[in-house]
Amino acid sequence: MLTIARSELQQIVRNRMVFFSATVIPVGLSLLFIAQRETFSQVPTGMGFLAGAFMMILISMGLYSTAVTTLAARRQTLFLKRLRSTAVSDVAALAGILGPPALIGIIQVTAVLTVLAVLTEAPAAIPLLIVSGLSLVLMMLGLALATAGITTSPEHAQVTTLPVTMGTSAVAFWIGFTGTEELGMLKRALPGGAATELTINAWNGGVELADNLLLLPPTLAWIVIGVLLAKRFFRWEPRR
Amino acid sequence: MNSETVIDVERLNVSYDDFHAVKDLTFNVRRGELYALLGTNGAGKTSTLEVIEGHRASTSGKVSILGEDPRNRKAVRPRMGIMLQESGFSADLSAMETLTLIGGLTGREDQPSRVLDVVGLTTKSETRVSALSGGEKRRLDFATAIYGSPELIFLDEPTTGLDVASRDDLWEVVDRLREDGATIVLTTHYLEEAQQRADRIGLMHEGTFRMQGTVTELTQTLPGHISFTLSEDAPVLPLESSTSGGKLLIETHGLQQDLYTLLSWAEANRTELRDLDAGPTRLDDVFRSITRN
Repeated sequence: MLTIARSELQQIVRNRMVFFSATVIPVGLSLLFIAQRETFSQVPTGMGFLAGAFMMILISMGLYSTAVTTLAARRQTLFLKRLRSTAVSDVAALAGILGPPALIGIIQVTAVLTVLAVLTEAPAAIPLLIVSGLSLVLMMLGLALATAGITTSPEHAQVTTLPVTMGTSAVAFWIGFTGTEELGMLKRALPGGAATELTINAWNGGVELADNLLLLPPTLAWIVIGVLLAKRFFRWEPRR
Repeated sequence: MNSETVIDVERLNVSYDDFHAVKDLTFNVRRGELYALLGTNGAGKTSTLEVIEGHRASTSGKVSILGEDPRNRKAVRPRMGIMLQESGFSADLSAMETLTLIGGLTGREDQPSRVLDVVGLTTKSETRVSALSGGEKRRLDFATAIYGSPELIFLDEPTTGLDVASRDDLWEVVDRLREDGATIVLTTHYLEEAQQRADRIGLMHEGTFRMQGTVTELTQTLPGHISFTLSEDAPVLPLESSTSGGKLLIETHGLQQDLYTLLSWAEANRTELRDLDAGPTRLDDVFRSITRN
């Protein structure tokens, strides 16, 4: 698995287009928001909003989109079939391919949130922030596998990833701007909704741990849905 | 399973929705032999190979590779090399990086630089796959299959895209591997390669074997030929003939005897056999005959 992951990382760095869309765009967008932080401090969820929005933007654009594009490209070139010609198990092959985008996403989130904490205030509950981030990563990996199943080429990924990247980002902004006082159940049930609320709570503090833990089941349900969709739709070889 | 049997296929069936791609296929491959799986387009070769290689589940039937289920990758892959029909390499990796990655994942031990040398790619070791020619990619593919000298090697269209010299080089390496005891399963559209090198051949058409056996066994099913032209005043021939392409054609199952009879007749009658051509049936004749039937 590590051999595949190292090779994937090498390829991401060498392919300028993938490297640019996986790193520069989401990080640049986040830094732009940080520069405008005074504007966002007026929203009801305060700086927690920025943390929630960053987490979602970086994980959906940096991790999810890169993962779908990479899987589609590896399938199109028959690299996935090639891996299955070796002694590596399916799980190890996928872990090796998805590991680098996941790692890049986690590093980006950590770096951007650290900058935000230094410039504004430290998060109230770092462990909860980590739990929220990891649950979001797992959900996006499951959705990436499922989306890759209906994505015929890396170019096609620009279209097929839009519903999830736009949808989850919209949910994060909706919750960030309006909170969960109204339509709370609906907002938490949407993909990434509960995770965004958890991130906001972890950053701002002031919410009981028990209430925060109640935000995990919806994200866990989306992880299960992602895995089930992946099992249903993911393909190792191009359709003939 | 016989201890000398490396591949054992019993009543294999592969279906895709309503399409029955492989029908009740039964055959085996013995240790050390070169078995050629040939067939017409859409005959079911690829589906059969994919099941044997462990890339696809069968609809029904039993398949055993080296005494194991082909889908048991951990047990089987370190002992078998696969040259795919299409490369499946990452464009951004060099030839050396590709072989180190894929070779290392096979579970076999070898030196990538040695294998690149064997396939004649030493000077291209630092070249990215995207910059390799089609023939060089095929050679790199071949390198991944022979990495660690596995005991069973699948070669799917190995010489497609290779020039004549590269083809010869590839077969030379295959010959050396066979001398060391490797078993080869070959699919190719170059029938002369199969005719020259295969110990046994399975000829597939419409999902099933139409013929199976050695080259001699297969070609003996059809008559050999003697063709020539004669002057108009030539005497009556001693053998039954027909006309084909402006030439007289004698079809025969006793080529040597009939050729002797014909030459003796020509000598006795002082008759010249112009454009004389004679030979046994070739594999492509057998191939054509199964598609016609």
